[in-house]
Amino acid sequence: MTISSDPLHDAARLQEIAELGLLSPDVDPILSDVATRAAASLGMPVSLVSVVLDEALQVAASHGIDGLWLNEVGGHPVEWSFCATSVRTRDAFVVPNTHVHPEHRTNPLVTQDGVRCYAGVPLISSRGFVLGNLCVVGMEERTFTEAEIGGLRDLAAEAVRRIEARRR
Amino acid sequence: MVAKIEGGGRIPAYGYGAPTEAEVVASLARVFGPQRGSEAWAKACRAAGARVGAVTTTAQVTRCAQALAAEGGAFATVARSVDIRMRTYIRLAATAAAPAGGGT
Repeated sequence: MTISSDPLHDAARLQEIAELGLLSPDVDPILSDVATRAAASLGMPVSLVSVVLDEALQVAASHGIDGLWLNEVGGHPVEWSFCATSVRTRDAFVVPNTHVHPEHRTNPLVTQDGVRCYAGVPLISSRGFVLGNLCVVGMEERTFTEAEIGGLRDLAAEAVRRIEARRR
Repeated sequence: MVAKIEGGGRIPAYGYGAPTEAEVVASLARVFGPQRGSEAWAKACRAAGARVGAVTTTAQVTRCAQALAAEGGAFATVARSVDIRMRTYIRLAATAAAPAGGGT
C-alpha cells in the first residue's frame, strides 16, 4: 500500500488539525455557540462543527444532539460522513433529500438514524487546509438557498478565526 | 470491555464492525506510507505491551491506539480515528444487544 492521494489522508492536513488543538475538549466551548447560531439561523434541529480525521468524524461542537449516540461517542466513522465531501471538494455540500442521494441513501445515518437533509461548508485554515465542516442536519426534506449557505460560510469563517486565535 | 474482534461479527443494521489491527495498520500506511506506518504501529504495540500481529481484542486495539496517540501530531489524529471507530462499535453493539439483555 502506498500513501493515499485522498485529502482525507493527507498527513500535513492531519498535522494541522493536531497543531490547532482540535483533538482537545477545550475547543467545544469556543465553538458551541457557532453551532447554535447556525442551527437557529436556518431553523434546523441539529448543527455540528466537525473535524474530519482520516477515518472518523469528530464532533468538535454541536447543537441538538443531546441524548443521541452521536453525542455519547463524539463522532462516527468517516464512511458515514457527509462532511468528508467538503474536505475533498473544498466547497459546500448540500443534500436536500438523502433518500434519493446516490451516495447517502444507504448511509446508516439515513437508514437507521433518520437524517433526511444536510448542508455543510468547509472550515479552511489560513494555511489552506480543510479541517472539517460547519453543517446543519434535518430530519425532513429541505432545500437550502444561496443566502443560507452564505450565512453558514460566514459562521464557518468565524469558527476558524476562533480556532486559530488559540494558536497565537 | 474485552471483546474478541475475530468472528465478533458486525452490527447488522449499520454493517459495521470493530476496528481491527489490520485496519489500523492500513490506515497508518495510507497516511504515512507502509514503512513509517508499520514502524509507528510496532512502537505503539511495544509501548502497550502487545505483540504486532497479535492484537486481537477491542481492549488491545484500544491500548495500542492510546500508545499511538502519545506520539502526538498526525499520529494522534489517526489514533483518535481508531478511538472514535471503537467507541462507535461499542455503543452501537450495546444497543443492538440490548433487547436480548446481553453485552458485546
